[in-house]
Amino acid sequence: MVKKEFRLIRTDPWNLVIALLLPPGIIILLSSMEQEKVTFSPLPVAIVSNDSKTYINPNNFTKIPVDNYAKPYIDAVIKSFYLFPKAIYNTSKYPYAMEFARRQLLHSEIKCIIVIPVDFTEMLVNGLPGLIECIPDSSRITDIQSNLNAVYDSIRIFTNENNLTPQVNLIPNPALANIIPEINPFSIPQDYNEGFNSTLVIILPLMVFGIANVLTILIIVKEKPIPRLLLTPVKRKEILFAKFLTFSIILFFQELGIILASIFGGLFLRGSIIDLFLAIYMIGYSGLSVGTFISSVSKTKTEANQLFLASFVIMILLSGSFVPIESMPIYLQAISYVLPLSHGGPMIQSILTKGASIFGFHFYMLLGVSLILNILTLIIFYRRRYEV
Amino acid sequence: MKCEVNIIEKTDSNEVVVDVQDLNVTFGKAHIIHNVSFEVKKGEIIGLFGISGAGKTTIIRVLTCQIKSKNWNGDVLVTHLNPAKTKNHQTILSKIGYVPQLELLNLYFELSPLVNVETFASNYGMKKERAKEVAEELFSILDIPEDTWNNKLKNLSGGEKKRVSMAIGLIHNPEVLFLDEPTTGVDANKRYDILNYLKILNRRLGTTMFIITHDLEAALICDKTAILREGELLAFDSPHNLIQTLPSNGLLVRLTIQDLTQEKIEIIKEFEYCERISRVGNIDIEVFLHDFEKNINPFIDYLFKKGIKITSMSRDSANFRRYFQILIQEEEEKEREEELKVEEIIQKEEELKNSNDGLENRGDM
Repeated sequence: MVKKEFRLIRTDPWNLVIALLLPPGIIILLSSMEQEKVTFSPLPVAIVSNDSKTYINPNNFTKIPVDNYAKPYIDAVIKSFYLFPKAIYNTSKYPYAMEFARRQLLHSEIKCIIVIPVDFTEMLVNGLPGLIECIPDSSRITDIQSNLNAVYDSIRIFTNENNLTPQVNLIPNPALANIIPEINPFSIPQDYNEGFNSTLVIILPLMVFGIANVLTILIIVKEKPIPRLLLTPVKRKEILFAKFLTFSIILFFQELGIILASIFGGLFLRGSIIDLFLAIYMIGYSGLSVGTFISSVSKTKTEANQLFLASFVIMILLSGSFVPIESMPIYLQAISYVLPLSHGGPMIQSILTKGASIFGFHFYMLLGVSLILNILTLIIFYRRRYEV
Repeated sequence: MKCEVNIIEKTDSNEVVVDVQDLNVTFGKAHIIHNVSFEVKKGEIIGLFGISGAGKTTIIRVLTCQIKSKNWNGDVLVTHLNPAKTKNHQTILSKIGYVPQLELLNLYFELSPLVNVETFASNYGMKKERAKEVAEELFSILDIPEDTWNNKLKNLSGGEKKRVSMAIGLIHNPEVLFLDEPTTGVDANKRYDILNYLKILNRRLGTTMFIITHDLEAALICDKTAILREGELLAFDSPHNLIQTLPSNGLLVRLTIQDLTQEKIEIIKEFEYCERISRVGNIDIEVFLHDFEKNINPFIDYLFKKGIKITSMSRDSANFRRYFQILIQEEEEKEREEELKVEEIIQKEEELKNSNDGLENRGDM
């Protein structure tokens, strides 16, 4: 039976070519497209320091002209790789410093104004949080966070060099996470192609699941001589098992090709390569299970194609790639959790960047859904009436 | 399992390989087969004839384990095993062969004839080499050109595909081979070839064959024929014996009559010893007479007296086609008569009811 399946597959070699060569081909293409490393040009900023102004303590109305920490902070800004202090103003010397800085921000000469408040040093001396004010260019909302992150780097340097406890904790931008691994333990090292890794997390499950699905949606409905085969001593479960086995073997080689292409393409892998292989294989197997299920319930090839299209679109929409699963209505979340594609991405992500083992929630969900589909397929195939 | 083509010349055997007694098939409220009984001996070719909906395929489906036992009852044995028991299915299926009507349901068109046969042979536990050997022998018997054995099956002609299909049915040397409409969709001149191949295979392999067909010419190769109508077995015997049951053992006179009309047929029917008339063309009829030899001359005199102009006349024996037509016509006539009787009874009951109502009304007045 398995031989027969391979013979049938060989009659349409393009199917096999697509299944085996397309995924590695796409991966190689992606790796070459994403070769450019993530770069970060220093953010032009203006520093306006009020700290050298006389500070009047509101408790006892004493004047304290201390500015011990303003200069070290400015030094930290200068040292930061991500900041380029285009102008440094001391308001005690330039009363209109803030106005100059605003004008620079208006004309996009700078991206952010860093204001050192008048009580900056005093607060730190008294063990209180030393606040830094930031006025970022908010014309592009997507840039605000990265601007703030860049400023955070100066705070980090400042607190490190002056033995201060950081009072601010900003979530770093993924772009920064590349270069500051100590901030994010799951970040991808600088030498690797971060874009390639993150694209693969989205593309791999879609591609592997989709191809396995397309390969198998017609395997039962298209095979006309099945009723005749059933008039031989062969059992229905043997016919179905042969199909599963054949396509599982094809999946094995497909996943092998994907792994090789990924390594060749410069994929960063924190976890085990066997785990990654098994994860991709599991996604493929779930595609195979869905495809075979569709094939068993469909009466015609057209019906199978339509069912495939409908189910695939729904699975992509509810996979969490476009809309986060958590933000969906509760009933859609429930549906989403039983769909294979919702688990593929997170599973790959956790193996690639976090070094997690495959044996987690997503794997067991995929395995469970696939096995349930396999059992349903077997039941439907057994109950299906075949007559010659 | 050891499977091989045993080339043997057919010998008479009394071993019953298919035994059907009181078979009834029902699907819900529909009663498809009514008390069908027959038995088939080893090496016989059985033809199952009947118009569409007669129940031919249903009987074969029972015999080939395709219908669940809850849908049928009766004492049925196929190769000495009861198909009502699920545990017997695998053994029965390993001892029978099947050649479906449509090659599409039997063959992988993208594969070659040899690979097709090997694929099916593997289901019977045959090794590739052995399957190839047997396939080549069968292909030779069936005259499938050697240069096509490794070509894609879709490139073969309809007749060749049909023969490959037969080879698949015979690959494991089955005790019984079921053929569903083997001559359907084949050119008229090839039909006889197919029947001829079946006869050769039957003689050389000793395979018992069941042929379901509309093609009455298939009776030429059948040892026994079964005629079914609306789920009932009307006749089961050899074609020769069945024809013998016709008036004068099937002897008939074929007449070509100028300007043949229904009135002329009615006049001929009035002849005292005329048993049956069959119109076989625009101007041709076949007439069965009681005691043919004795009454043929008085019949011709009768035709002259009535002024019926005969263009040609010949004496002939009825063939199976004619027997089949007559049997089906008789059944239809019987059915029509019964319907008329029922209609008459209903009409009479209504008249009686009306007259009773009239009497009651008069009483009320």
